[in-house]
Amino acid sequence: MSNPLKCSVCDAVATVHLTQIVQGKVTKVDFCEACAAKGGAGDAAVFKLADAVNKVTAGPAITCPQCGFTDVEFRRRGRLGCPSCWQVFGVALGGLLTKVQHEIQHVGRAPAGTIPVGQLRHRLLAAQQELTAAIAAEDYETAAKLRDEVARIATQLDTL
Amino acid sequence: MSVQEILADENELTHLLGAQQSVVLSTRVRLARNLEGFPFPGWAKPAHRKEIAERCIEALTQLPRFRKSHVFKMGDLPDLDRAVLVERHLVSKELASGKSGAAVISRDQTCSVMVNEEDHLRIQVVKAGWHLRGTWNIAEQLDDAIGASLGIAFSDELGFLTACPTNVGTGLRASAMVHLPGLCLAGHIEKVTRALSQDGLAVRGWLGEGTEAAGNIFQISNQQTLGLSEDAILRHLGGWVKTLVDQEWNARRKVAQEEGERFVDRLARSLGLLRHARLLTSAESMNMLSHLRLACDMGCLPEERRHVVDRLMIEGQPAHVQARQGAELDSDGRDSRRATAVREALRDFPEVGSPTA
Repeated sequence: MSNPLKCSVCDAVATVHLTQIVQGKVTKVDFCEACAAKGGAGDAAVFKLADAVNKVTAGPAITCPQCGFTDVEFRRRGRLGCPSCWQVFGVALGGLLTKVQHEIQHVGRAPAGTIPVGQLRHRLLAAQQELTAAIAAEDYETAAKLRDEVARIATQLDTL
Repeated sequence: MSVQEILADENELTHLLGAQQSVVLSTRVRLARNLEGFPFPGWAKPAHRKEIAERCIEALTQLPRFRKSHVFKMGDLPDLDRAVLVERHLVSKELASGKSGAAVISRDQTCSVMVNEEDHLRIQVVKAGWHLRGTWNIAEQLDDAIGASLGIAFSDELGFLTACPTNVGTGLRASAMVHLPGLCLAGHIEKVTRALSQDGLAVRGWLGEGTEAAGNIFQISNQQTLGLSEDAILRHLGGWVKTLVDQEWNARRKVAQEEGERFVDRLARSLGLLRHARLLTSAESMNMLSHLRLACDMGCLPEERRHVVDRLMIEGQPAHVQARQGAELDSDGRDSRRATAVREALRDFPEVGSPTA
């Protein structure tokens, strides 16, 4: 008898098998019952996640000095050990994030009482683009306002 | 503090007259947050998890929003009580299945925070009907209040740091629970589901991931949490929900017009069956109640009866039926209790008439 298929997330015996066909491209993923329930079998994101998790750990073994979590564990669980793991596994996770999230830079809120740097950087880029467009359209009144905004945000970011 | 109080207390999802709307049953916002310097719950040792739970519960119960709140430690609760909380969407199946998780639930059941689920904190706000901005504003205030008393793990590049890469960044999952009998009857639901998933939204059943869409109810939520601002995530979901509501109404009117008396007959038969059945399974009652909700939306039944239908959908779930009885029941026992509760609630319902909407 052939070996039973292993779960793509945790290496347990897989009992749920998913096949996804997108424009003729066939992708197969196998899950144990626990991971299938957790990840929501039938969900397209699960395919991307399982696929990306498998690719992250291609390099040499890495261990988080803060919590002792390893890349092998990450492949097994698809979850990280502690907030510091994000820094430790950062390079490897970049590819995974592009795959799962499409983006790698936070542009949203920050915790209470801190400066939302991501949000500011995002606004700076947008304001710079709007400034270029306003100048091209010879809308100098708007351009002047945007120039001031760009200068203000840039100063704010410089002082951090 | 008991789960019986949760069942007995009136709240806007099950009781408040006028809070219910056609199509969108409820709006929900969830934020994933973690404490700095602690391992995530899935990797933390029991002692750490205990310390995390104590810190979080201490901080949460100080907040005005959680005055006189319910605090439930999963390890102390009987199976049935945990199942009730899951059916109410106040805690997840994952939290309920572990021993070290806890939940702090506001008195009005609008806000709940799960402690030691996949992340240290899962802040959740839910409102009846479609109120995306209002729901978000409460979640944002709660997030700021929690962040002011607990050190939250955050990086400028990656945002709020979470255990799973699918939540990092904003940690925000915004969702709408929608009732789509028109699109289901018209046979368009698969097409709609496909369009939503291609545009980055997840479509799930009534109880979330991996569940079936009983009663034509679907949960629509954003997938991406990184690289988009909270505002952009909310606008994206909001735009789609508006489109869905329009499409659902078009489908309802078209089906009602094409089917004529057959349409009204279908709804009237469901009322008849629910009013007389002695045994009702969970799936059967959900599907029939879906017809009654549709009837209330379309003026075949008075609109002010809609909250009764919504309450029966929630209270007809297996753990709810047993908790009300105060004992575990076998399948026939549950079906019998459910049928009795439905018969009593629908006793004074008027007859189903022709659509007016």
